[in-house]
Amino acid sequence: MAGKVSLFLAVSALLFWSFQGSEFSPGQFWRGIPQLFHFFGRMTPPDWSVWDVLLTSAIETLQTTIAGTFLGALFAYPLGVLAASNWTPIWVHLPIKAFMAFVRSIPLLLLALLFVSAVGLGPFPGVLALAVHSVGVLGRFVAEEIEATDPKPLLALQGTGASSLQIIQHGLIPQVLPQMVAHLAIRFEMNLRDSTILGLVGAGGLGFYVFLYVKQFQWQKSGVLVLAIIALVFAGEFAAWQVRKRLI
Amino acid sequence: MSKEMVIQIENARVEMGSRTILSVDHLEISRGERVAVIGNSGSGKTTLMRMLKGYVPCLEGKVVVMGDVFPIRDPQKMKNHHRHIGMIHQHFDLIGRETVWQNVYHGRLGYVSLLKSVFGVCSERDLQICAQAIHEVHLEGKQRRFARTLSGGEQQRVAIARALAQEPTILLADEPVSSLDPALAEDIMDLLVSVCDAYDLTLMMSLHLPELARRYADRILALKNGEIMWDGSSDSLSNDRICEIYEFMGTNGVVNGNGTRASRSAFTWPYGWQGQPLPGG
Ligand SMILES: Nc1ncnc2c1ncn2[C@@H]1O[C@H](COP(=O)(O)OP(=O)(O)OP(=O)(O)O)[C@@H](O)[C@H]1O
Ligand SMILES: [Mg+2]
Repeated sequence: MAGKVSLFLAVSALLFWSFQGSEFSPGQFWRGIPQLFHFFGRMTPPDWSVWDVLLTSAIETLQTTIAGTFLGALFAYPLGVLAASNWTPIWVHLPIKAFMAFVRSIPLLLLALLFVSAVGLGPFPGVLALAVHSVGVLGRFVAEEIEATDPKPLLALQGTGASSLQIIQHGLIPQVLPQMVAHLAIRFEMNLRDSTILGLVGAGGLGFYVFLYVKQFQWQKSGVLVLAIIALVFAGEFAAWQVRKRLI
Repeated sequence: MSKEMVIQIENARVEMGSRTILSVDHLEISRGERVAVIGNSGSGKTTLMRMLKGYVPCLEGKVVVMGDVFPIRDPQKMKNHHRHIGMIHQHFDLIGRETVWQNVYHGRLGYVSLLKSVFGVCSERDLQICAQAIHEVHLEGKQRRFARTLSGGEQQRVAIARALAQEPTILLADEPVSSLDPALAEDIMDLLVSVCDAYDLTLMMSLHLPELARRYADRILALKNGEIMWDGSSDSLSNDRICEIYEFMGTNGVVNGNGTRASRSAFTWPYGWQGQPLPGG
């Protein structure tokens, strides 16, 4: 009983501390609501004259996502196998796991900023940022999936005289393939969402023009692009869902 | 001419952690014998087979399987060793998402090069051997089915076919019928014994039921606490002996779900550092 009370007090204190520290103010929010409507109001009616910008930048976002996800997957799968603790000795999987955790801990926008300063503006730094981020996230899933597969059938394959790579091809891959593809679909969906805002730091795509037009107070144009982002993300989600539905 | 020895063991000992879990003073098995291994849970039946397969190292003594002297360090020799010893497991251990045919083909992997197996190139001979193995276990009609969609008995037959496709000399069967119902168990035992006759295989199988051992084996090994406490023809094993063998049934406090505890972490990269004690041991 005393334990529960002290837990309640501790959680309350933590919440209070957080709200207080983050300057939470309902009154301010309440007063801001008209401003919110005003903001959206300025975006209407959408100015469709920017349809060419919309098209090219949406395609760029899509291309960035596909290229970044592919590049990330290319490295994530082999690294994931090497990071599976029941497949490799500790001096192999531990550094790889640590590397992937390190990569995951860097926020995507920060990665993008890093690559923008390294290779310049445009979609290319976005591709690199997505790829590196995907290696961290996807690689971990791959490793966890492999660690969770039943090792006994693989051991039985080893017992037929199959070599390591044959065991991977004929035993491991068939066992984990559906989950791998499902994870890839999810990653693609997330990367698509993320890549729409990469433009914030100059890494190309739809986001770049949203911020450009906002900075120029061309609200009606940026409104069109926001709609495009929503549509694109929605389409990506739908595609990923279709893929997963067919697998599981 | 005396019969060819396929397995010879002198004073071999297997340790896990600091505990001796198998210690065999003397064991010789000659070609074509049908040996049943019986004993309580935890008596070391699985360990004996894993040792013969080269999965667990024996620390001292002499083990010779088909002329290969343990420990086998050369990967190519190990591969050779593996393909000459077919193994069947209690839980079948098939690749569930592959077809019956593919699973049987896995038995050929020890013979085909990586490049060929990547591109799915099968020689005429591989095809023929697989077809014959499938015929042997009466699964011709189900070649295209996914292994996980088969019943337990059918899965075990696929496992037998896979072992046959290896063209083995020795067949190890670790509780081949423990997860099947009694009627099916007899079918599988009949099949096992008949294929061993047809292919002239030396059979070593661990069985939970002494009746099955007496019926299907011509020689019985009884293990107790990792030691062979009886070795003789199956006719000469009296009921009193059986009581003695199983006397301490359940009281040695070892609960081992047929190696499930061990197998969780048992898979390490195949030819790398095999021969190390398993983690958690
Ligand atoms: N990897 C391992 N680590 C530690 N102990 C192990 C390991 N594998 C087996 N043992 C121990 O070795 C002993 C023999 O095990 P084994 O699996 O050979 O018995 P078994 O006769 O096959 O039993 P069952 O009838 O239950 O299958 C048991 O006491 C078990 O706990
Ligand atoms: Mg066992």
